[in-house]
Amino acid sequence: MSISKTISAFLTIVLISSRLDAAEPALVPASNEAIQQQLLEMQKGIQDMQSRHQAEIDALKKQLADQQTVIDSLKQNPPGSPVPPVPTEGKPSPGDPPPAFPTTDPTLVPDSVGVLPTNNPPASGSTTPGNLFPTTDPSVVTNGPVAGLLPGLSTSSGPPGVGGAKGSYLNMSFDAVFAGAASTDPNLGSLEVGDHDPQQRGFNARNIELALDGAVDPYFEGFANIVFKLDNNNETSVEVEKAFGQTTSLPYGLQAKGGQFFSPFGRLNPTHPHTWDFVDAPLVNGLMLGPDGLRGVGAQIAWVIPAPFYAQALLAVQNGQGGTAYSFRNPGEDGTFYGRQTIDRQTDGLSDMAITPRLEASFDLSPTQTILGGVSAAFGPNDTGENCRTQIYGVDLFYKWKPANAEGGWPFVKWQSEAMFRRYEAGHGLDESFPVAETFHDWGAYSQVVWGFHKGWAAGLRGDYMHMEPSDITDDPQRQSRYRLSTDLTWYPSEFSKLRLQYNHDMLESTDFEPSRDEDSVFLMYEFSLGAHGAHKY
Amino acid sequence: MKLSITILLTTLAACTGTARAKLNVVTTLADYAAIAREIGGDHVEITSMAKPTEDPHFVDARPSFVVKLRAADILIEGGAELEVGWLPPLLQTARNSKLETGAVGRVQASEGIRLLDVPATLSRAAGDVHASGNPHFMIDPIIAKAVAAHIARAFATADPANAASYVTNEKKFESTIDAKLQEWGKALLPFRGQHLAAYHDDWLYFARRFGFEVDVFLEPKPGVPPSPKHLAEVIGQIKSVHIKAILVEPFHNRKIAEKVASSTGAHVVDGAQYPEALPNTATYVQLIDVLVARLTTALKN
Repeated sequence: MSISKTISAFLTIVLISSRLDAAEPALVPASNEAIQQQLLEMQKGIQDMQSRHQAEIDALKKQLADQQTVIDSLKQNPPGSPVPPVPTEGKPSPGDPPPAFPTTDPTLVPDSVGVLPTNNPPASGSTTPGNLFPTTDPSVVTNGPVAGLLPGLSTSSGPPGVGGAKGSYLNMSFDAVFAGAASTDPNLGSLEVGDHDPQQRGFNARNIELALDGAVDPYFEGFANIVFKLDNNNETSVEVEKAFGQTTSLPYGLQAKGGQFFSPFGRLNPTHPHTWDFVDAPLVNGLMLGPDGLRGVGAQIAWVIPAPFYAQALLAVQNGQGGTAYSFRNPGEDGTFYGRQTIDRQTDGLSDMAITPRLEASFDLSPTQTILGGVSAAFGPNDTGENCRTQIYGVDLFYKWKPANAEGGWPFVKWQSEAMFRRYEAGHGLDESFPVAETFHDWGAYSQVVWGFHKGWAAGLRGDYMHMEPSDITDDPQRQSRYRLSTDLTWYPSEFSKLRLQYNHDMLESTDFEPSRDEDSVFLMYEFSLGAHGAHKY
Repeated sequence: MKLSITILLTTLAACTGTARAKLNVVTTLADYAAIAREIGGDHVEITSMAKPTEDPHFVDARPSFVVKLRAADILIEGGAELEVGWLPPLLQTARNSKLETGAVGRVQASEGIRLLDVPATLSRAAGDVHASGNPHFMIDPIIAKAVAAHIARAFATADPANAASYVTNEKKFESTIDAKLQEWGKALLPFRGQHLAAYHDDWLYFARRFGFEVDVFLEPKPGVPPSPKHLAEVIGQIKSVHIKAILVEPFHNRKIAEKVASSTGAHVVDGAQYPEALPNTATYVQLIDVLVARLTTALKN
């Protein structure tokens, strides 16, 4: 590469200096002796270079001549004309005329032609005769001496250009999150409500994720995230976190999606832990939408509303069954939920499914400030009794500031808040075995600020609150109201790795069954990602 | 309330009205916007998503861009992984079939351009490298001409009624660049062969065109922040090859460059690769004018 660079520089200078010497004295400022001195020095340098690179230049010239021969022979037998018979056995002797059928193809080795730009005959007629400096350079385009981008000439006829070539049919990436945990609570799982949060003191590997995506065909694109988790006994479990196809070409800004996917509820729920700003999930997400987030098999339709600002309406219909539909048809651990033995509710119709509508909109407050807000809801039956249903409502707001001259995305300020309200009808359980039916009105919220104060560094502060309606009958420890304060510091050595230190202070309020308690935890998280460059949604 | 609804409806009507009359062009970066403006003239409406002073690798995928992309007839992007971190989710949400890969409305400027520094071995241990090669090619005026031709062809195909105007404007742009190349070449001739330092490795196309060697970088690897140890080496290199100029861009940490400059005697040159990032650089030609002038001033000392 350095040789070819030198040669091209050399040839440019030869061209220029010969012109200067020959015909165009007016172009040299007569008074500027310094320039002339420099030119003399340069010519001396050129002579040195000439002797050093003569051999290479000769070789390349020979190569060019060979290629010219081939091109000439191609011109004599242009594509489409009858192909002369291919010579049979035997190689042509040195004295033979060039073979009628080409034995080399210069277009297959783009760089051998391209590095000798300026003394090639110009590809198009745009260099005027009086120009001292070259105005064309065939080496900048990939299709050899013919500038492929001129109107009427196809760019696809040549060899695959480096710039135009794309990777594979499938983008693949691998992301692994590990966390070391220390806590005053020996049972960390009772504090940390998300399934990907650290669940034990010591080391945790709760989210090792393989992500795949790509265009299926002209009509669909496909996405899949397969998560591997190590439990507290180091047993591996696999979950198909999401796997869905979605349309790419429906009219009127519509998009349909089908498969296993996150319900479009709020801001955090549809995202993966490696995009979060804290080690763990907020309390409301873990205790209302569930440890795994609200997701399931189903279908979704989304519509970008034709307005002068961004607005989108989404509606998802999902089975709403199992642990990933925590507040809905969830059989619960060991067949009980909120103290009730759960019933096995079958799907009889749409009313047995979980339905999630969402409306979101965004505005640019200024060229450097943007807000994105939304309202969501989720409706469906639950398994604590016949005719028991759950409604969850949420609002979310996201604000971001990033200056116009940010370097690598820094500095920035992000403020993100979500509030949720849940009405949960807890019934009599299987065979009317639980003494009372209750309706819980629970609510909670979190608000977090993340400040990217220096390139690669971000500090965060989060406040969390979860209010569970008190009950003197239901003794489930998950129904303990609680506060949490978290602060963290993250270092991003690059956009593909991060190290995060976080401190949590948890305050659990007393219930009829559980005492109040204060707990402190510290986490050190490490994450890396491999493979395709992930793109970030706002 | 009534008033705001009226305003909303009027805006809606205005939006749909202009969309019908003009070719709606969205560009990822400001350089494509500047050239598209010269080719399109009054027949196109142009929006650039990234700000000219912004790091093109790290643009936020703001939802307002979805609205622009949804209404676009043509999208001009660099390709070659430059916008890979933010453009795909925008296109997924915008769902505009005119902008699908391979469609007339999708102009990938890097298509057909021979990119430099294509890594022989692909490894992120080398920093933030691009598999397809270095994507900062627009700063070479001869490549800018090729991209202008590409844009003109897309405009002419999408809007045949004004094809003649696009071709004329493109020829005009070409001949302006040809004439300017003589001027720029002459101004930089005395410094041909000199070595320059830069914050980030994105000047190689400029260097090739005007005969510089930009081979000392304040970043130890592309995208990796300068470390004190690396800066000490850089200072040594700048002194030993008598480098006179350190090129920085608006989104770089100028203080670091200033520190290096003060301990070596080199000058910090505030450069940019995007029109409007520097004062009086509304067009592509003005941007190169300013770069040439600033470099000439720094190198003369």
